[in-house]
Amino acid sequence: MSQQLTKKNELDLPLRHKETKRQKTNLYFRKKVGWLFVIISIIAITIFNFYPMVQAFLLSFQSGMGSNLEYVGLANWKRLFGDPTFIAALTNTSIFLLIQVPLMIVLALFLSVLLNDPTLKFKSFFRIAIFLPCVTSLVAYSVIFKYLFGVDGIINQFLVNFGFASQAVNFLADPFWAKVVIILAITWRWTGYNMIFYLSALQNVDKSIYEAARIDGANAIQQFFQITVPMLKPIILFTSITSTIGTLQIFDEVVNITNGGPGNATISISQYIYNLSFKYTPDFGYASTVSYVIVILVVILSIIQFRVAGEKK
Amino acid sequence: MKKLFLMVLLIVGMVALAACSSGDEASSGSNSEGSSGSSGADKITAWAWDPAFNIAALNKAKEAYSGDGEYEVEIIENAQDDIIQKLNTGLSSGTTKGMPNIVLIEDYRAQSFLQAYPDAFHPLTDVINSDDFAEYKIATTSFDGEQYGLPFDSGVAGLYVRTDYLEEAGYTVEDVTNITWDEYIEVGKKVKEATGKNMLTLDPNDLAQVRMMIQTTGSWYVQEDGSTPNLADNEALAKGFETYKKMMDEDIAKIVSDWSQFVGAFNSGDVASVPTGNWITPSVKQATDQSGKWAVVPMPRLDMDGAVNASNLGGSSWYVLNVDGKEEAADFLLNTFGSNPDLYQTLVKDIGAIGTYSAAAEGDAFAVEDEFFSGQQIISDFSQWTDEIPGVNYGLHTYAIEDILVTGMQDYLNGAELSKVLENAQSQAEAQLK
Repeated sequence: MSQQLTKKNELDLPLRHKETKRQKTNLYFRKKVGWLFVIISIIAITIFNFYPMVQAFLLSFQSGMGSNLEYVGLANWKRLFGDPTFIAALTNTSIFLLIQVPLMIVLALFLSVLLNDPTLKFKSFFRIAIFLPCVTSLVAYSVIFKYLFGVDGIINQFLVNFGFASQAVNFLADPFWAKVVIILAITWRWTGYNMIFYLSALQNVDKSIYEAARIDGANAIQQFFQITVPMLKPIILFTSITSTIGTLQIFDEVVNITNGGPGNATISISQYIYNLSFKYTPDFGYASTVSYVIVILVVILSIIQFRVAGEKK
Repeated sequence: MKKLFLMVLLIVGMVALAACSSGDEASSGSNSEGSSGSSGADKITAWAWDPAFNIAALNKAKEAYSGDGEYEVEIIENAQDDIIQKLNTGLSSGTTKGMPNIVLIEDYRAQSFLQAYPDAFHPLTDVINSDDFAEYKIATTSFDGEQYGLPFDSGVAGLYVRTDYLEEAGYTVEDVTNITWDEYIEVGKKVKEATGKNMLTLDPNDLAQVRMMIQTTGSWYVQEDGSTPNLADNEALAKGFETYKKMMDEDIAKIVSDWSQFVGAFNSGDVASVPTGNWITPSVKQATDQSGKWAVVPMPRLDMDGAVNASNLGGSSWYVLNVDGKEEAADFLLNTFGSNPDLYQTLVKDIGAIGTYSAAAEGDAFAVEDEFFSGQQIISDFSQWTDEIPGVNYGLHTYAIEDILVTGMQDYLNGAELSKVLENAQSQAEAQLK
């Protein structure tokens, strides 16, 4: 009996050991299966994202007409800093960015807080009305803005008929006003889009925080700056990064409203890339150098925004 | 660590794989190019962009085809910008899949395609006789001694004038025939005084007027080699700039910013003249209530030695791509646009397209009197002026230089000194175009 018992015990130990081993292989196998699941997207991302990125990077060191490309080292990058059109494009894009993104973020935040007011009537009507612009086609709304601000457009008719201006203003032929029109257009198109993010984030803010604040005597402005803004910080960060990227890539509006003019007063980096590739004698090498400037800018600006928002990592 | 290694390995593998596969594609593309010589295609495709104009012309050509080739011609409409993009991306990637056999390219862009993709086009030197076509078209459609393009529509320019406005200001059509731009401005001032109408429209973002002006002297943005910028020491260009500014300063120009405003201005009777290419005729005739009030006279010239009263704006030509079916494509072009004067009669009659095939100009359709223009034989006049257009090699960089000049023009209009503006443009162009 006792012999049998010990035997069983002796047998038991290695058996248990074996089982854990099987579990281990099982785990390993499951990990492998996991890899199999993600491998499709890894392959797809590699082929359609990383490979073109590497190729574009190589291309940015080449120059030449059409298919006659040859490596020119850093010549493209040198050319970049002496290229007045590129500098104009960079300046314009930066102006759009610096004025438009903060303007839009503040406006979207403001609207979302207003629309989140539980006492507001026709809430969904207002929400839809403000969100609606961003389901319109980029080209369609750009063309409409162009005609609104044309010399005989409705804005000018309004200004002249109500005595705000003695003579129709040629908005799109004036370097300053052309920029203003572009900024107004993008703001109109994208404010509602960002507002939706804030609105949904506001649903997650605990109402009792506001109640407590009110009991402590905080007014609406204090509540907004001390509670709403800090609670929405991750979303504000997210929207400002996506808006920054979007504005850096601005193309449709500029091409359709002003076509970069007057002169180079509203040309954007993306439009310049298009011109270099398709309007002029194609130089895809230099065009991809300019494209990489956008990449670099996005990285730098995102890092700055993360730092400012205080997210370490 | 192991995971990371696996991932890196995977990525490297994928990149290598992708690189290989793209390499294969390129080589198979060139293989098919190489072997395309003998194989007969039973279908060829042609790309053009305007259903009322060049697409319609292709359809007429298809009907008029007189050769004995047995193949089908498929005509595909693409926007002009799309054609340029598709050609650029297709040709630069080295694959000829999806490329057409015949494609229409605007003359200002032709050289950049011919030089950027040297083996992509099939020479037509032995197929057509370049002497059969208007001389000014040859420089832009040939490259390196080979004729690549079959010249199609003429961009010959004319000055469309409102005879009733001129009369009010005390002028006749003769007074604006064969004049200089300075004389034109004087007429413009009087017309504005008498009728309150502007003489013409100007678009500050489009220097087409300046381009037409400098071509009257046989000059262009680039030197004859087609690539060296010719701006700082270009007397004609300086004159063109001065004339442009003068028209602005004298307040005889209505500022427009796009095509529809441009067309709207003369259709609504806001301007007394339209100096532009002959392809505007259908748009002018849209305003049927203005019938009998228009005439077409030769383009004003710059006040310089050697300047003529003939110029060009736009125009395009047919090209055959070096892909399977190029023989058939060349055969199709030869037996239609390349040798059939009757086809050009049809084009004039049904579409209003003026070709550049010289032998066609004697036909009846060219002598038709146009009621809208008070019985003037405008087609015949245009084709006569076509022969006088100074030939210019538009070269590679028309649009690149024009963008530089547009900025320069803004500075000049705002008071900068002309010589400085042009020197600036010259150095900018030299830095940009190598």
